[in-house]
Amino acid sequence: MTRAEAFSEREVAMCTVAHLVENGRTYWAAGGGTPLYSVLLGQKLYAPDAQYITEDGVVAPEPLLPFEPMMTMVASRAVHHALLWGTMNSAGLHAQLGHMDYGVLNTLQVDQHGNINSTFLGEYGGSGRRFGGPGGADTIAACCWRTILITDQERRKFVKEVDFISSPGFLDGTPGARERAGLPRDTGPWRVVTPWAMYDYEDRRLRLMARVPWVTVDEILAECEWKPLIAPEVQVIEPPTEEELHLLRTELDVRGQTTDAAGSWITWDGEKYVRA
Amino acid sequence: MTAPAARRSLPILREGTSAYLKVDPDGFRAYVRDNKQRALTPRLMSAREAVERFVADGDYLAYECNYLMRGPNELVHEIIRQEKKQLWAAGKFTYVDVALLVDAGCVSRADCGFFLSSPPIDRALREGRLEVFEYSNVIMTTRLQAGAMGIPFLPVRSFGGTDGFDHSGAKLITDPYTGDPITIVPALNPDVAIIHVHQADVYGNARVFGTGISDVESALASRKVIISAEEIIETDDIRAKPGATSIPYYAVDAVVHSPHGSYPGTCPGYYGSDPEVVFEIFRAIMTDQVQAYLDKWVRPFATFAEMLNERVGAAKLEAMTAREVAKDGYSA
Repeated sequence: MTRAEAFSEREVAMCTVAHLVENGRTYWAAGGGTPLYSVLLGQKLYAPDAQYITEDGVVAPEPLLPFEPMMTMVASRAVHHALLWGTMNSAGLHAQLGHMDYGVLNTLQVDQHGNINSTFLGEYGGSGRRFGGPGGADTIAACCWRTILITDQERRKFVKEVDFISSPGFLDGTPGARERAGLPRDTGPWRVVTPWAMYDYEDRRLRLMARVPWVTVDEILAECEWKPLIAPEVQVIEPPTEEELHLLRTELDVRGQTTDAAGSWITWDGEKYVRA
Repeated sequence: MTAPAARRSLPILREGTSAYLKVDPDGFRAYVRDNKQRALTPRLMSAREAVERFVADGDYLAYECNYLMRGPNELVHEIIRQEKKQLWAAGKFTYVDVALLVDAGCVSRADCGFFLSSPPIDRALREGRLEVFEYSNVIMTTRLQAGAMGIPFLPVRSFGGTDGFDHSGAKLITDPYTGDPITIVPALNPDVAIIHVHQADVYGNARVFGTGISDVESALASRKVIISAEEIIETDDIRAKPGATSIPYYAVDAVVHSPHGSYPGTCPGYYGSDPEVVFEIFRAIMTDQVQAYLDKWVRPFATFAEMLNERVGAAKLEAMTAREVAKDGYSA
C-alpha cells in the first residue's frame, strides 16, 4: 500500500468507511452514492467476503464497473450477477428479519443521539429548506443491527437536536426509546464518519473517537455546533492509499460526482499532510 | 368475567396527523368487481388513448421505478402533454419525476419517500401549489403491499420515532399479540398506476426482468393500471413460461407498446441510458429550467415515438442498445 499524495475530503470519508467493512457481514447501502462506493471499496480491497444489498433488493451483485453516471440501482451493470433480484419490499423485509448487519447511509444533519435529518432544515413547514426525504435510510437506520453514517464535518451538521428526524438514531437518548417507538431491539447508530473524524457512541451519545492526522481535536470541535463526548484517547485515522484512490477514481466515482462534490483538497508536502 | 378479546379496545399510542388517501378495502374490491376486465379481451392501445381513458384529474398516481431507470416515461410525457391536473403522486425512489410533474402543473400533492429537492419544488411549496406528506421509500412500498393484499394496513418495524411519522398517516399501537408497541401504516390503493415492463401480451400479462421497486404491488393495488411494454409478445409465449409472468392480465386496464419507452433512462438488459440527456434533465431541474426541458423534449411532439425519431434518432437508440452489454437474466 502506497501513501497517497493528494485527495479530496470526500475521498477520505469513503476510505475510512471502507476500512470498517468486515468479511462475512451484510451491508445495506442507502441510495447509490457515497455509501455504495465505500462498501464496494472495502469489499474489493479488504473484505472480499463482505456482501451488500441495495434498495431495489439486489443481494450480493458483482457489478460491472464503472457504473453509468447515476445508474447505481436497477441498471443492469449495477445489479449484474447478483445472488437474488428482489424488490424494495424484499430488501426491507430482509432487514426487518435481521439479515442486515450494517446499514450505511449519508445525511445532511446528525444530532447528539445519532438522529438523522434529510428532510427539512429550519422549522418544518416554515420558511426553511426542503431536502429529498429519508429514501431508504429510515428503514436502514431502524432495522439494520448497526448503522454507519457518513456526513461532512460542518458546524451546522452536528447539532444538539436535528430539525426533523427523518431516520431514527437513539431518539431522545433514553434507554429503550427505540423499542418504545416500535423499532427492533438492540439496533441503532454505531459510527459516524466525516472527512475529518470518526465518532462512536457512549450511553447513546455521540463521542469523538478518531481524527485524521491533519486536523486537531479542537478544529473538529469548532465544526460541531453541539460538542460531542470525547474518547479518553482519540485515535488517528489512516490516510487513503493510492490503491484506494485508484479504484475510487477509475471504477467507482469516475466522473467525480461524489468525490469532488465538496470540501478541501489534502496534499502531502514531503513531511506532512496539509489542507489546501 | 373479562370481555372477549375482540371487544377490548386497542389504544392508539401516537398517530400522524397528515392527510392520506382514504383506506377502503371493500370499496376497492367492489371497484375491481365492477371495472376490471376478467375476460381475456385485448387492451392494446396508444399512450394517448390510455392516458385519456385512465388518468383523470385529481387521481392518486403511482409510477414504478423512475425517470432514469425503467420509468414509464412515454406515459409521463403523455400525462404532461394532456395537462392532467391535481394529481397526488407517490414520490418514492425518485430523483426528477416529482419535480417534472409539479412544474408541468400536473401534481399538487406528493407522498414523499425520496425525491430531489430542487428549485421547482421549493417554488411550488412557497406558492402553495404543492403539499407534501412524509413517508420513506420502504414505507411507501409497504403501503402498496397492504393495498395489494386487500387489507387496510400493515405493521412495520421502522418509521416509529421519526418526525415523518408525525406528518403521515401512520399510527403506533400496542401489538395485541406481543404487547409491544408497533407502527401500522395505511394501505395505499392508487387510482392509477403506470408501469414500464420488458414484455407484455395484448391482454396485459406482463414480464419484468431484473430488479424493481414495487411493480407487482402497484399493479395489484391500483384501481386503473396502464402497462407500457418494450415488446408485445404472443400469449403462447406467456403460456410457455408462466413462471416468468410478473403481473396477471386481470389487474391491467391498458397495454401500450412503448419501445425505448424509458428514454432517456435505461431499460435494464435492453438499453442503457443516454448520459448527456440524463445530465440535461438534472441541470434543468436544479437550475429551474423545467419548462425549457418540456418545450424541447415533450410539448413539440404528438407522440413519444415522434420525439424519439426526430429528437434522438435511430443511430443513437441503436448505440444505447449496443452499449447494454449485461444480458444475463433479462429473458424468460
